[in-house]
Amino acid sequence: MGYSGVRGGMEAILAAERLVRRSRDHAPAEWASTEQIVLRFRLAVDRIMGEAGLYHSPTAADAFRQAEGDVLEAAHLVRAHRSTLPRLAVTEPVDPDEMVVLRRIVPANRTPDGPQLLGRTTDYTGRLLEREGDFARDRAEPRTEDDDSARNRQPERTPEQRHPRRFYQLLRDLDLVVEHGEPAEDPEPFDITRRAARPPAPRSAVLSSMARAETGALVGLWYRSILGPDGDVHEITLGDTRHGRVPLRVVHPHTGKPVQIGEIRVTEAEGIEDLDGAEEDRTRFDVGYGLCFGHNERKAIAMANLDIAWRRAEEDSPLEQLLLLTTDGLDSGGFLEHLKLPHYVTFRSMVDRKLARREARGSTGPRVPEPFGEECR
Amino acid sequence: MNREQRAALLAVAEPDELIELADACLATGSAPTVLVAPEVGCVSVQVREPVVRDRFLLGDVLACRAEVELDGSRGWSMRLGDDRAAALAAAILDAAVEAGRAGDEVDELCARVRERQRAAEHAEWAELAPTIVEFEEL
Repeated sequence: MGYSGVRGGMEAILAAERLVRRSRDHAPAEWASTEQIVLRFRLAVDRIMGEAGLYHSPTAADAFRQAEGDVLEAAHLVRAHRSTLPRLAVTEPVDPDEMVVLRRIVPANRTPDGPQLLGRTTDYTGRLLEREGDFARDRAEPRTEDDDSARNRQPERTPEQRHPRRFYQLLRDLDLVVEHGEPAEDPEPFDITRRAARPPAPRSAVLSSMARAETGALVGLWYRSILGPDGDVHEITLGDTRHGRVPLRVVHPHTGKPVQIGEIRVTEAEGIEDLDGAEEDRTRFDVGYGLCFGHNERKAIAMANLDIAWRRAEEDSPLEQLLLLTTDGLDSGGFLEHLKLPHYVTFRSMVDRKLARREARGSTGPRVPEPFGEECR
Repeated sequence: MNREQRAALLAVAEPDELIELADACLATGSAPTVLVAPEVGCVSVQVREPVVRDRFLLGDVLACRAEVELDGSRGWSMRLGDDRAAALAAAILDAAVEAGRAGDEVDELCARVRERQRAAEHAEWAELAPTIVEFEEL
């Protein structure tokens, strides 16, 4: 068998795409609007925004619909779209302590400063599959009492309920955590959208990579460290775990002062680590930090755990390489998907090598290597 | 209300109310010069995390900005999302106030927006407050 250049397949490719479009866009069912997807598939939309690295729920929802619910493909579409957009500004540094909490729990402590606010969650209740037939579509929204009167009776939210003091601060007050102090330098954050992060990298690159990582990859890496051979990660205790809104501010171009341009929802987690290393202060804890777009507690918790694991890792640990190079969904998914493209020539050359080796095994003469660059026949 | 507070409220006003007021404002005076046409792009979110106090980039948000000049005064706006008309209208209103036009109407609009924010937060809290855990000592 020899090699020969070929072309073709364009008609088949176009027909295949038409099949997707026809089946997806003209399915015999009601159209799923952008608004429907944003409101009914909130967690998928949030996950797409985080993994794409672009916060805009209608864009993520459109990608979700186009990708037929494939979150990784949707993130890919949004990230490609993002690459076409100019950068208008960089925000002033967001202070997570300004978060207005929509959910806030502290698993490490029953009585932290501020409330244990469960918010919108089914974490504490059994879940059984609800089939469409069990659900009366025309059922009115359940009301326990008249909403208006309940709202009117509700006291104003206190500052402590809006912005509870973080548990990390309480540990600091008790002198139970390693004191990091103000950084001696304040380097500009590494921008993974402009330059690929490679070990050794600053912490800002690691945090950015984790914030944009594929959720499953980050959780898988964390769990591998719990049950796998690495031993990089100890099981942390969670401190503050929050979902809420943070304000974004940019510098006003005319006045030079910060101006708020809106708010975004983020999820934040503190991972408290028990220090037990020979060189570590065993009378104190240290805390890992996780923060990501939208409501995605799995990701924020895994990130907090891996942050402290990365900071404590030995010099020869593979963890940084794993975090920087293997958790991006577009990288890993893209590489995997490329395997479906034709590999006719490379595989043919492997077949040729097998056959040549077999032939050489049968001959008794001296082995003559093929000259490099010999033309294919 | 200072200029930054006004810009923040205009940034979250509804597009229709911004456009309506900007149209009314332009109907009675000179036309604006567009210095920066409404442009959709990214704003990179920088965070200072609270443990080691390192700064890092969380990701980008979609935003739209515009800049105009009206009667010799410049107006600017930036808002989240991709509504170009709303961004342009907000920039026109900013310039109008700077030029001494429509100050009262813009203040009224900002007051309405602030009141809506308060009402929305109050309604949100009415739903969230019952989810506060009340422990019972055994």
